[in-house]
Amino acid sequence: MPNVTIDGRTVEVPAGTNLIEAAKKVGVQVPHYCYHPRLTVVGQCRMCLVKIEGMPKLQAGCTTQVMRDGMVVKVDDPEVKEAQQGIMEFLLINHPLDCPICDQAGECGLQDYSFKHGQAFSRFRYEEKRTYPGRERIPLGPSVVLNMNRCIQCTRCVRFTEEISETGELGFFQRGSRAEIGTFPGKVLDNDLSTCVVDICPVGALTSTRFRFAERVWYLDKKPSICTGCDAGCNVTLEHRRGAIRRYKPRVNPEVNDHWMCDYGRTTFERFGRGERLSAPRMRSKGGDALPTNWSDALDAIARQLRRPDREGAVAFLASGHLTTEEAFLVATLADRVGTPHRAVWVEEGPERRIPNPSGGVTGRETAPNRRGIELAGLVPGDGAITAADLLEGDGAARCAVLVVAENDLGEAGRSPEVAERLRRAGFLVVVGWQDGPLAEIADVALPTATHAERSGTYVNSQGRIQRFERAFPARGDVRDGVSLFSDLLGRFEPEWSGAGDAAVFERMASAVPALGGLSFRSIPAFGSALDQQAEGAGVAEPAAGGDGQ
Amino acid sequence: MAFEPVLTQNVGKPGILTVAGYRDAGGYAALRKALGMTPAEVIEEVKKSGLRGRGGAGFPAGVKWGFVPADTDQPKYLVCNADESEPGTFKDRLLMEKDPHQLLEGCAICCWAVGANTTYIYIRGEYTEAADILEEAIRDAYREGILGDDVLGSGFKLDIQVHRGAGAYICGEETGLLESLEGRRGQPRVKPPFPAIVGAFGKPTVINNVETLCNVPHILTRGADWFRGIGTDERNTGPKLYCISGHVERPGTYEVPIGVTLDELIDLAGGMHKGRALKAFIPGGASAAILPASQSHLNMDFDSLAKAGSMLGSAAVVVMDETTCLVRATWRLAKFFSHESCGQCTPCREGTNWMQMTLKRIEDGHGSEADAELILRMSRNMSGTALCALADAAVGPVQSLVTNFREEVDEHIRRGGCPLPPVPFFENGASH
Repeated sequence: MPNVTIDGRTVEVPAGTNLIEAAKKVGVQVPHYCYHPRLTVVGQCRMCLVKIEGMPKLQAGCTTQVMRDGMVVKVDDPEVKEAQQGIMEFLLINHPLDCPICDQAGECGLQDYSFKHGQAFSRFRYEEKRTYPGRERIPLGPSVVLNMNRCIQCTRCVRFTEEISETGELGFFQRGSRAEIGTFPGKVLDNDLSTCVVDICPVGALTSTRFRFAERVWYLDKKPSICTGCDAGCNVTLEHRRGAIRRYKPRVNPEVNDHWMCDYGRTTFERFGRGERLSAPRMRSKGGDALPTNWSDALDAIARQLRRPDREGAVAFLASGHLTTEEAFLVATLADRVGTPHRAVWVEEGPERRIPNPSGGVTGRETAPNRRGIELAGLVPGDGAITAADLLEGDGAARCAVLVVAENDLGEAGRSPEVAERLRRAGFLVVVGWQDGPLAEIADVALPTATHAERSGTYVNSQGRIQRFERAFPARGDVRDGVSLFSDLLGRFEPEWSGAGDAAVFERMASAVPALGGLSFRSIPAFGSALDQQAEGAGVAEPAAGGDGQ
Repeated sequence: MAFEPVLTQNVGKPGILTVAGYRDAGGYAALRKALGMTPAEVIEEVKKSGLRGRGGAGFPAGVKWGFVPADTDQPKYLVCNADESEPGTFKDRLLMEKDPHQLLEGCAICCWAVGANTTYIYIRGEYTEAADILEEAIRDAYREGILGDDVLGSGFKLDIQVHRGAGAYICGEETGLLESLEGRRGQPRVKPPFPAIVGAFGKPTVINNVETLCNVPHILTRGADWFRGIGTDERNTGPKLYCISGHVERPGTYEVPIGVTLDELIDLAGGMHKGRALKAFIPGGASAAILPASQSHLNMDFDSLAKAGSMLGSAAVVVMDETTCLVRATWRLAKFFSHESCGQCTPCREGTNWMQMTLKRIEDGHGSEADAELILRMSRNMSGTALCALADAAVGPVQSLVTNFREEVDEHIRRGGCPLPPVPFFENGASH
């Protein structure tokens, strides 16, 4: 590999690496607007000019590749600084000073570089700024609004629709100082990935219809999370203000969603704000009314039902695809302890969602994020067991003495009163979940649990990659996350489980499931870990045989 | 001066637009001769002649041909740049309208030399007459076996196609031209890779100006030594067309040995208009620095003009007499570049417009004392920072206005307006 010296620091890089990327390796930031690692290099903004020994003129860092040993580059250099200042001046003379009402303020490339590379005064004092009358709030499509006055003509958005979404709705029109971005005649920026153009727009020219004027970005707290919209497992940054999620933005993971995520995924947090949350445990009294109770009594009641020697019928567990792998392992262990093969998992098929990445892309086809992880953890129906379809679409619940709905986030079915009616046929119905609704209302015991934003855990996506996400904020009310809830319930059978946290549960799980061998909760890499697909099949913990659950 | 025209020798000859007429005038002998030589020999001969590109940059043509890889399976292309759009330039038009076969012969020889089987002549859209004449000449050449699958019975295959532009100056920039030729928005590409390696449709491509290619047949028939005997010195050789416009009695295209002085050119053009005094001149098209009258003794060749801080460019000589307001004239040039900037890169998109606005403000009497410095700073910020040469081109005249004619700029600012009466730009009454 050729070496290159940047500001006195030498580094080896693969041949063909451009100077912006090479500089990153030695901790030197080369400012840029039009360059994006996944888009064609166009060298348009000219912000990344650097000095190269032996070259008469400054060169654009994005278009200059390291091909041979010995290139010597200066970024910290008076000539480069003057050029950066010059480009900043050119970009700013026509840029509106509407930062106070601009959504991008606080995460704006112009603001950041003005501060770092610009100057505090303007020599553009006499002429009027260029404006695009009537093009201040043009909806390019359902998700994106264009304010042409703010555009710096970097054409990232145009290249995105050409090269990543491959839908080609956007073009660069007019020329010279009148050059502008727009949709081609008759076209609408309406594709699955369209909001990504808002993310890659370095300024406030493109804003998201959903996020527009919703929040000042500096008030947002950010946590790494995973999108739960489907099983693609896109890495996201969850941004919230005091527990109210405001937006998801894609978090770079070249193995999964790369720099992108779909428009649908960005909306998936909105359901947490709709409808009622379960906020405290509820238990049906002898009189038949569902009354608030405390956790201890509720869990005792469930344990009592699971232990009843005189029960007639099966004990069944029904999981949604939203359980974390750790929660699923606890439920599976509980099922082992009770000795039942009835471990149903209900995951609805969804539209195919494809996110491009350098190795072809990741596809999600299910409406929940973790069916694979749940099955890996041992929630797989045994031979002849009651299936999820039996329960939700058939008469399976009538065969159950106890039915534990471990997470009521069952998609369409979970909201259906008809399905609730069917499940009610179980002798004793336990419903765990974050949402109140027909199912929770008719449960004998309803237990409130955390959403994915309020807990940590792991999901296994459609590629068989296990990825960890973190709790963004604590849940409000008397709510417990699934791991603490199920470990306490399990603790009523095997006391050593009481109070086990994510890491401890994961450790037990990793020793039981070969595919997870060698992993620990904290050691899952930032980009997740691809599980050994062959071990996955072998890894399913067998349900304990000879149980009395039938 | 005893100089026999070379490139324009056939202008006005009856029947010269047909293959037969061109043959009668000795045409297509050079192509026949070239086909009897190896491609390497042809390139060597052109290199030896010292022929430099006539489009503006003055790059040695033979060297450019030599960059095209000889041993490759890929198709190669010749693109003839006939997008003559630099204000004040009208030499290629003459060559195409008055002697189209000379160009076709030059194209054919170049294709033989570099191993290309296709030539695209990218012609400025406004040149409808030249395009029609070329297309007719091409049809004639196909009929006569000069183009097609078997050029002059040699087995060499050659197709030539005329592609009409749509009116953008930037499509004269070679990579902007290629983008336009390929059907995309005409805006320059990032270089490297250079067109000789990755050009039209991603294939090795030679791009030459019309006048450059028109020189080639003569180099082959009369020899590189003859060609080198014309001109100022070893690095500035051959005949040259100069387009003289502005305040002279007989504006037009004149063919002379490269490197004549402006004084000689003005004499050729019948002297200064109404005998007025020379004030300033643009030696090489809108992008060249404006020189004061005191430089009229310079040899108008690539190197002498570069040394004087200007350039030969496309040899569009604009002569301005004492009645000319240089601020206004420069503003008009700046406005042209602002209008023609493609808009993709920042210094050009923003700089050209700011420049023309600033000059307009000075001309209109609202200049400030900081403006001269502002223009110089702007010029520095635009020089060598842009993606293509258009920003540098725009800087050329504007920067020279401040460096060579500072007194005139200052006077505008001091007086709060133009010291000269508002003279229509053209004598026929059309003004800017």
